[in-house]
Amino acid sequence: MGRARPGGVAPVDDRAGRADPDAATAAAGGVPLTRSAVARPAALAGALIAAALLPLALGSYQIHVLTVACYYVILASSWNLIAGYTGLFSLAHHTFAGIGAYTSALLVIRTGAPIPVGVVCGGALACAAGYGLGTVTLRMRMLYLALATWAFAESVRVVVSMEYGITRGDLGLAVPKLLGTSSPVPYYEAFLACAAATVAALALLLRSRVGYRLRAIRDDEGVARAAGVNTVRWKRFAFGVSSGIAGLAGALYGHYIGLLSPVAMQFDEMALIIIMVILGGQRTLSGPVLGAVVVEVASEALRAYGQMRMVVFALVVVAVMRLYPPGLVGLGRALWARATAVRPGSAG
Amino acid sequence: MDATLLTQYVLAGLVIGAIYCLMAVGITFIYSVMKMINWAMGEFYMIGGYAQYLLLTDWLGPARWYLALPLAILGVGVLGMVVERVLLQPMFAGRLERLDEYATIMTISLTVLFRNLAVVVFGPYQFSPRDYAPPVQLGPLPINGSRFVAFLGAVVLLGLFQWVVRRTWFGLALRSVAQNRVGALCAGISLPRIDMLAFGIGVALAGAAGALLAPVFLVYPQSGALSTVKGFEIIVIGGLGSLPGSVVGGLLLGLVESLGSVLISPSFRDVYGFGLLLVILAFRPTGLWGERAREA
Repeated sequence: MGRARPGGVAPVDDRAGRADPDAATAAAGGVPLTRSAVARPAALAGALIAAALLPLALGSYQIHVLTVACYYVILASSWNLIAGYTGLFSLAHHTFAGIGAYTSALLVIRTGAPIPVGVVCGGALACAAGYGLGTVTLRMRMLYLALATWAFAESVRVVVSMEYGITRGDLGLAVPKLLGTSSPVPYYEAFLACAAATVAALALLLRSRVGYRLRAIRDDEGVARAAGVNTVRWKRFAFGVSSGIAGLAGALYGHYIGLLSPVAMQFDEMALIIIMVILGGQRTLSGPVLGAVVVEVASEALRAYGQMRMVVFALVVVAVMRLYPPGLVGLGRALWARATAVRPGSAG
Repeated sequence: MDATLLTQYVLAGLVIGAIYCLMAVGITFIYSVMKMINWAMGEFYMIGGYAQYLLLTDWLGPARWYLALPLAILGVGVLGMVVERVLLQPMFAGRLERLDEYATIMTISLTVLFRNLAVVVFGPYQFSPRDYAPPVQLGPLPINGSRFVAFLGAVVLLGLFQWVVRRTWFGLALRSVAQNRVGALCAGISLPRIDMLAFGIGVALAGAAGALLAPVFLVYPQSGALSTVKGFEIIVIGGLGSLPGSVVGGLLLGLVESLGSVLISPSFRDVYGFGLLLVILAFRPTGLWGERAREA
């Protein structure tokens, strides 16, 4: 391995074929016979079961923190799909979560619809809004896209806080809770399941032909089009899917926390998602997961320092970027490569 | 609506638009030299506001704003140069290779850092220095004194900036780096030094906007957010890397906001810019003056 370029954001595993050694074989239709093909799913399943059993060992506060971490896992992973894999650096991801949350909450409050219906509608509206934004920004390149999506995000936030007749603006909107209990454990299991489902769905998507199309668009849109990829369709698709996931997650989260306010649509939230993905490692499936959990847990641990925690936090991110850009997953892989390098043949 | 009232709103729009231009020109200037977007622009605006406020209340006294102004601008510029040298320079690993993501993440982290640092140091309160000048009559439009000073300051600074970029040797070096980094390097221009100075100047323009507008909009930790959005909207409207685009875009945005407020509703003042942006991008995806590049 050792692909990490010094002194820059080394795109760990940049090419499609290298992204996952198993992906190439699986896509080619062959049965991968490497050891990791058996060991990895087993390890993942074990980790998932262990995570599901955590409430037995931890108090309700820790479980609450982990629930929030799961929410961020969903947001970070879905943002990684659009920004990391497709190369559309959208800065409106938190806005789609907010759109989903407000849609669901208002639907449930105004019409008395059951909460699951509200959540699905929230996801659907976020998906539609994302598709729309993707359509509008179709011809924009990297920086224009980032700027335009940011302007969109801020505009939506202003509308939400100004239309207080409907959204109650900065006063906050009380949202009915999903479950009747006050214990965070059932919520935790629900969010864990959603996060696992999201990551699994993204893994499948990225291994499919669609995943290759998205990566082709990121690497070179012109070449992708020349090679027969309908870039218009798949860019909109990526926008719609990742926004829809964010909307669903946001709606669920709203019904867990029980209070919505435009504060959650501030840019800080987007900055947090970006930090999670970058810290974990872009363009890896495990990166956003790891990043989200580490960031959320760390920021809770620093809560005693009040506002200082965000300062400390930003300093840590700046330091990581300055000194070791490939992120946590990059670090893990580098260590793993060093550990396995002495035993030839075991790397698959 | 009669003509006088309309003229008033057009004038008011142009005045605020000129101040937006400072932000936009700063962003686009940094972009054209370093080919990176500085997401922390609004935070330098905020720091400019705080610097001005502190200078006025603690040191110079509220009447000597004209002395505080250059000091605040200089301070922000120096801070910008330090940030560039320490944190952004590695972006150009091996001198010529640039990594968009590195700069993006770095400056976004700096946004979080500065904003929360402001809350820690000054608290979440809103400060406001005294008005710089008594109200002025500008044609048919009575205008707040501070706003007028800010407008004049913006015009003077933009003029000065244009003069430096167009007429001096240093400006020539800046333009050559913006055109072609390799070529500039071959001609013996020190890229790290130009980058550092360009970043400092661009950021100082944002700091100037913050210091000039301190009495108009209040000084508080989040004050940079909205002005950054405005700046970015202007950039997208005018075209990245185009100075005339930023100026026209800034004036256009000021006009649209002012007229939108009076013709539609003032609560959504901050949304009209996005509408304008969408309309323009629908016809010109790289803005009014943007270069039609394969990789922007």
